[in-house]
Amino acid sequence: MKEPVIGGRLVAMRERLPLLELFLAALCLWGAWYHTPAGALVRTAGAFVFRTRSTARPLLAYFGAGTLVPPRTPPALAGPVPPAQALAFGVAAVLDGSAVELAPRLRELSQRLGSDDAALLAVFCGEDAAHFAVDEARTMALDDLARALPPRSEACIARAAQAAMLGGAYALGWPLPETVQITSPFGVREHPILGHRRLHAGIDLGASPGMPVRAVAAGVVRRASSDGINGRILVLDHGRGVVTTYCHNDALLVRDGQRVERGQIVARSGSTGLTTGPHLHYQIDLAGEPVDPLRFRTHAPKFAAGASD
Amino acid sequence: MELRVSERVNRFRWVFLPVGLCALTAVGAHAAADVVGDRLLFLVDRVDAFFDAIWSSWSVTKPLVELVGLTQRTWFARAIALCWELAADALIAIPLLAYEEREAVEEWRLGRDLLRRARSPLRLVRPLATLLVAFAGACSVARMVQGSVQLALHLSWLGHVARALVLLSALVVLVPRAAFRSLEHARTARHGIAAAVILVPLLIAAVGAWR
Repeated sequence: MKEPVIGGRLVAMRERLPLLELFLAALCLWGAWYHTPAGALVRTAGAFVFRTRSTARPLLAYFGAGTLVPPRTPPALAGPVPPAQALAFGVAAVLDGSAVELAPRLRELSQRLGSDDAALLAVFCGEDAAHFAVDEARTMALDDLARALPPRSEACIARAAQAAMLGGAYALGWPLPETVQITSPFGVREHPILGHRRLHAGIDLGASPGMPVRAVAAGVVRRASSDGINGRILVLDHGRGVVTTYCHNDALLVRDGQRVERGQIVARSGSTGLTTGPHLHYQIDLAGEPVDPLRFRTHAPKFAAGASD
Repeated sequence: MELRVSERVNRFRWVFLPVGLCALTAVGAHAAADVVGDRLLFLVDRVDAFFDAIWSSWSVTKPLVELVGLTQRTWFARAIALCWELAADALIAIPLLAYEEREAVEEWRLGRDLLRRARSPLRLVRPLATLLVAFAGACSVARMVQGSVQLALHLSWLGHVARALVLLSALVVLVPRAAFRSLEHARTARHGIAAAVILVPLLIAAVGAWR
């Protein structure tokens, strides 16, 4: 085939093409190395072969733009958390700072950047990073904002995600009137029916049959189903890794995938599933791990007589 | 001097070009798998609810209901996304390591010839997935470059220029080569239906990862 006639500049460019290709290949390798589970596998294997320490994150932590991190244990609360300052309490728990001092700064950042999640990024990754993420991200949710940032922001994104998670948990309301007593707390206990010791992943509230159960925050119904153990079970996803579960209901008033608002009646309590009597099992999960709902409240309902660990 | 460097670099093209293509596709596959993470969680929830209703019907199988809680469901969903991504890497990224460069004109002619002969749509799934995933990878790498430049130098315009240049270069230099090599590989590749089951959702997700 006849070689096409091309100008001198084009020839020179073509001769330099390998440099551009090397540069692009290096960029792709850099992206794959730090940004993908496959890269993490290679890094870990390399560290194993050369007997060094791998800096790769666990493979599953590469999803959700690094925002799917294990929750921090929140410090004991000294006083009540005003709903408007819940996020500041989350940030303070991660930074070991004062929520009262952090609240005005967060509020100002939130107004300037357009969302609470962007304000969190500004606190942990710097204002430049937050501005950049706001400009580039599709939505103002933390995982989307985090996706816009380069790989070196991993550590600060993880801290922002932990603060968001704790802030989200501090902002939760309560599913029943606070006069309803706790009949079984969170923690390892002897199961009243099955007998053996196991973790009670939530708290039991002595609700009477038919009592309205309210959503503790706005969210999306992740599961509204029924089985012989949990009875009629409702799982609400509130975002930022915060999920609440309501078991043993008599009736579910919402459907899978439905959006609910804070305070909306989502179920009526009952005694369905494996129970010794009518009650509501209320559970909070942070990043998929159950935590004690009372850790996020100072005014907890009273314990019923006989309720014990 | 510059040309001498270029000549030396040219000698190692056979190494860095295939590695670059493989890395580009791996970045794209991760971007695509990450897009569907939340949907997978909903899917795992539905499947778990379905099985919980079945297991709780008999006393013998009742303990199985509590075997899979929210922690396990979240873990399962992420593990499915991870396995899916690694399977896609094995199907479309790893074969790119066998890329052998030819003259651009010859590659174009051979590519058209391969396309004409690929009668079965199953044969086109791999190249199409590679094309879309590599495009998503190019977008991802370009975004990472923009972020790094902009946050390091605090020059917004330079970040945008760097992104545009990297994206354009990758689309011209790397993406067509990845698609061509995949087309070449699809001719001899086996397990067409299994590959399609993995790659068709991935190529749809890859479109969602373009930005």
